[in-house]
Amino acid sequence: MLSRRVLLGTTLAALMAAPTVHAQTRTPIEMWIGVTGPAQDLLIAFGDEFNASQDKYQVTVSFKGQYPEQRAAAIAAFRAGNPPHIMQMFDAGTGDMFAARDAVIPVSEVYARAGLSFDPSIFLAPAAGYYGAADGTLFSQPLNVSTAVMFYNKAAFEKAGLNPDAPPATWPELIEATGKLVAAGQPCGMTSTWISWIMLEQMSAIHDTPIGTLNNGRDGLGAELTFDNPLQARIVSTLAEMQKDKRFDYGGRSNDAAAKFISGECAILLQSSGGHASIARDLGAPFGVAPLPYWPDLIAEPKNSIIGGASLWVFNAPGRTDDEIKGVAEFLSYLSSTDVLTRFAKGTGFLPATNAAFAAMTAEGFFAANPGRDVPVLQLTRGTPSDNSKGYRFGRWTEIRDFYHEEVEKALQGAQTAEQALKNAVARGNEALRAFERTATN
Amino acid sequence: MRRKVIFRNRWLPYLLLAPQLGVTLVFFIWPSLQAVWQSFLREDMFGLSSTFVWFDNYRVVLADPGYMAAVRRTAVFSVAVALAALMPALLLAVMVDRMLKGVAFWRTILVLPYAIAPAVAGVLFLFMFNPSVGVVARMLTAAGVDWNPRLDGTDAMILVVLAAAWKQISYNFLFFLAGLQAIPKSLLEAAAIDGAGGWTRFRTIVLPLLSPVTFFLVTVNVVYAFFDTFGVIHAVTQGGPAKATEILVYKAWYDGIIATDFGRSAAQSVILMIVVIALTAVQFRYIDRRVQY
Repeated sequence: MLSRRVLLGTTLAALMAAPTVHAQTRTPIEMWIGVTGPAQDLLIAFGDEFNASQDKYQVTVSFKGQYPEQRAAAIAAFRAGNPPHIMQMFDAGTGDMFAARDAVIPVSEVYARAGLSFDPSIFLAPAAGYYGAADGTLFSQPLNVSTAVMFYNKAAFEKAGLNPDAPPATWPELIEATGKLVAAGQPCGMTSTWISWIMLEQMSAIHDTPIGTLNNGRDGLGAELTFDNPLQARIVSTLAEMQKDKRFDYGGRSNDAAAKFISGECAILLQSSGGHASIARDLGAPFGVAPLPYWPDLIAEPKNSIIGGASLWVFNAPGRTDDEIKGVAEFLSYLSSTDVLTRFAKGTGFLPATNAAFAAMTAEGFFAANPGRDVPVLQLTRGTPSDNSKGYRFGRWTEIRDFYHEEVEKALQGAQTAEQALKNAVARGNEALRAFERTATN
Repeated sequence: MRRKVIFRNRWLPYLLLAPQLGVTLVFFIWPSLQAVWQSFLREDMFGLSSTFVWFDNYRVVLADPGYMAAVRRTAVFSVAVALAALMPALLLAVMVDRMLKGVAFWRTILVLPYAIAPAVAGVLFLFMFNPSVGVVARMLTAAGVDWNPRLDGTDAMILVVLAAAWKQISYNFLFFLAGLQAIPKSLLEAAAIDGAGGWTRFRTIVLPLLSPVTFFLVTVNVVYAFFDTFGVIHAVTQGGPAKATEILVYKAWYDGIIATDFGRSAAQSVILMIVVIALTAVQFRYIDRRVQY
């Protein structure tokens, strides 16, 4: 009796263990991500699908906290000699990663070592420029790509006697429209999320104005910030002026300002295109999407805007085998396939990262069925990118963004002028860049 | 007569202490030593290059006007939190102490907030005082107050002080109540017979007899404001607007995690550690002796 039970148990155990034993022969590939919501669910699903599609590699996609926490976890893991194979890193951390050459393997090199053909130009040009070196080497693979656009509440426009189908295209028009909105009883004309990203980075790009020297820092270390310029002074002083009568109302750093638009308080919102889905879900009113406003006296045809979001970096670590590199390359290749990126863009509101995915979505009529979703892509790809609209690359950019926030917040409070705010932000930013260079390895 | 029991065993005490010592060693002493070591290094974020720079990080930190501003801010914040947490607690304790009925009920209700994590307390206040949707913010706006903690540093400071102090009131209340109940009724009755009114009795008898509890609570609250309020600030203001609520512990976190300057962050942690060790030492060595029991 006993022996039979043991036999049965052993058989069962062996049966259950069989897939596990099988799985252990697969090479494990770790990917850490820092996004939540639908984006997280989809990325985990992509990992599972990739595992099901082949039997050599076992990809594990894990959420390790929001971007800063996830980065901290990855840094700690790297220092302990055991980093994940792939890490998702937010846009502003790109400069830090470029400077840590020995910690990462450029994506182009990963594909080359794995023997896979790879062409960085399959990605949207601003994305390839942002994450690539001047010689065309792609350092990290674009994944969740976004850019800033203008959302406006059509109901509020109508109430204020504005044409809901003709959103303001320029700053003077925007100032006029917000004036009418406030006069018609709207508690707040416009607001903006992430002002460092939108007012500094995006506005500089579309006005073809540099943020710093050395090709916006993309030519290497030693760049000086130069954004204490007339364009920025005009933008910050305009915002401070509009803040006084709530034609503009500051809504905090990060994404907090979106709540002021969704609650109906503000009629216009400058925000990441990635916010489209939640606005469509929560704003109980018709809304439109329009390109970012520009100053027609400074530039006749605004340049392309720049990207935001995050990209995938491949960590270097002692003892990485060729097999692992091959697995990483296979998975990255899967994550750049048209099918995956199309589903990701549809499901999250991010933009398709490759030209092929954008074309596929256009061909199947997605943009016709979802008006406004093409505005960010068209804005990203319009015209010929200039050196000033190909992105920027500075170390400690997360910290420098906050210098900008702090100094501009003081200007919005009326505690200092726009010029002082920018001067201080530039001075503090340059100090941070010099400190960064002292620790950089190349 | 009581008989003293003496264990003549050399290793048993150490064995009994070992788990506690082990935990302290692994989770406190070892990371502290690592912080001290890190504070002497200058490294990139991945530790690929590492230079021993002696006290450079400390020099950078102490010469930074931003750090000195954070020191002043932390002083204001700690005093404000301690006051805002102690005064209502004392008032509530005196009121509950005088009650005849329902003491257990009120005591339980008043202690409840202590069970809430600082970050959750922060989120509660964030919602109530949110300029767009907050209940309290709407009332303030209706009353003509231009309430905007996102842009106004003073508003933001008031908000984090309230959120941080609120949950600490429970803790203080419990200690004050215990202190009040330990005051011999005969003293108060004697004073009443001598003609002392309620306020006089409170001022000349209750307060002095409560002073050991008060001083203990002052230290605990200041240490709480120094360290445990990180969650509140992170949830409510992230140190903003324009650093208006960035206290020392938040700055140490920010410089390490966001700015990825580990040497500068470690130097700040070590300075904070020294401050708290000094605070506690002063409390137990100096103030304790001067308090009347």
